[in-house]
Amino acid sequence: MKLTRKLTVAAFAGVLALGTAMPAFSADLIAIITPAHDNPFFKAEAVGAEAKAKELGYETLVMSHDDDANKQSEVIDTAIGRGAKAIILDNAGADATVAAIKKAKDAGIPSFLIDREINVTGIAVAQIVSNNYQGAQLGAQEFVKLMGEKGNYAELVGREADTNAGIRSQGYHDVIDDYPDLKLVAKQSANWSQTEAYAKMETILQANPDIKGVISGNDTMAMGAIAALQAAGRKDVIVVGFDGSNDVRDSIKAGGIKATVMQPAYAQAQIAVEQADAYIKNKTVPKDEKQLMDCVLINADNADKLETFALKK
Amino acid sequence: MVRIRGALVALMLVAALPGCKIIKTPTPEEKAAEAAKTAFDPATKVDAIWQSQVLPDLEKRAGDFKVVKQAVASNPDEAGAKYGNPRKQNSSPWTYAVKLSGKIVAADTASRAGTLDVDVDGDGKADAKVQIGPAIRGTALRDALDFLDFNEFRNQIEWAQFGKAFNEKANTSFLAALPRDGLVGKTVTVTGAYPLPASGQLPLITPSALALGQ
Repeated sequence: MKLTRKLTVAAFAGVLALGTAMPAFSADLIAIITPAHDNPFFKAEAVGAEAKAKELGYETLVMSHDDDANKQSEVIDTAIGRGAKAIILDNAGADATVAAIKKAKDAGIPSFLIDREINVTGIAVAQIVSNNYQGAQLGAQEFVKLMGEKGNYAELVGREADTNAGIRSQGYHDVIDDYPDLKLVAKQSANWSQTEAYAKMETILQANPDIKGVISGNDTMAMGAIAALQAAGRKDVIVVGFDGSNDVRDSIKAGGIKATVMQPAYAQAQIAVEQADAYIKNKTVPKDEKQLMDCVLINADNADKLETFALKK
Repeated sequence: MVRIRGALVALMLVAALPGCKIIKTPTPEEKAAEAAKTAFDPATKVDAIWQSQVLPDLEKRAGDFKVVKQAVASNPDEAGAKYGNPRKQNSSPWTYAVKLSGKIVAADTASRAGTLDVDVDGDGKADAKVQIGPAIRGTALRDALDFLDFNEFRNQIEWAQFGKAFNEKANTSFLAALPRDGLVGKTVTVTGAYPLPASGQLPLITPSALALGQ
């Protein structure tokens, strides 16, 4: 007992010594800001960015804005206050974010956006985003095929302030609306949330028992929808998601959700850190500010290869 | 002290005032007119370049299907630089401009995403699929043009709408008039583009011009 305590104290002292010694070698800091990590997609971004930053010798400050523009402004203030050399950001809204990263820019801190784009160029150094429209088209084409080009369906849309919610919905409809026998009977926002999607799916199902398919703006909502459908004994309803999470991969393998579209979240975050590193070291800016990364269709054929938003070779 | 501070505030207010200017609130009609002026109209944008730039660019740069296919097989990037758009996004697959003539060996006109299976080398087997609409997948026409750049667009939505407008232009200008019956056995000549296909899949060509023979 005594020994343990002694050891603990020694370890504690060691940590303290290390802590106080740190500033002497303190590495440059990169702030990594994303929405809440309870969605595995955002967690993969943060983990990917952090791993790359550490590999390149940076300290990291990982924070979440919980999709709240005010909180985003606060965490960016924290990043500025801590003297971050760059900010990697999956932002909290296309419009609200402009002022926040402008503030960082004015303080001399470059921002590298991932996942969600903003409508303004010249404020962030880079905007590396998934080609959500291309991905949505892939998902919608698979959905159309699974539906046999006809039948009633519902759509679950993401959070409206997020451009990706609109882009994906539009990508879906640009494909699906070419098929007049596919009828949209319900379109509701479930704010990217699994629990909200479960509740919305229950009410949609009550009002439209003849529904044949559900196309969802992301995987967490697709998981909510499939749970509600299974609880109602409706295993016949086709569900297609978007993101490529491991949860949906497992659902596909178990015969639940039929397809999703993988966004290269992990790779995207890593590329953003590489570009931040080039900027910090040599003031090198990427060739294009806006950079699109293509998505990949995931269904029963390749679900096995999916792991944490990347396809195994 | 208080008085001094009051005077100071008054002074600052006076100093700030000349910076203000009264701006007339626009009427709803004026707002709508302003929005229409700046609104993105993909169909008009494509109309404006279709005859003058799109068709000539594809005609000029399209390679013979068999030549392109071979070039792609040996080096997709080199083939892309020649027959595709070198300004494409890094992670997007290459899209190649091609010309082909061949015999229609199968036609899917039951699906809204209609296609023709075309035998180019005369072995009786399909070498390419040609989209005939009315639902056209992908954005191959946009992606093969070497004078377009995503960064010149406001966001993904406008870039996407622009891409779809090319498909609609192909539909209205020649695909809608294409007969849907008795296609199998006829010859067909096509100029168009296709994205690098997944392994084992036939190239899916979106046509910019298509003519049926006998």
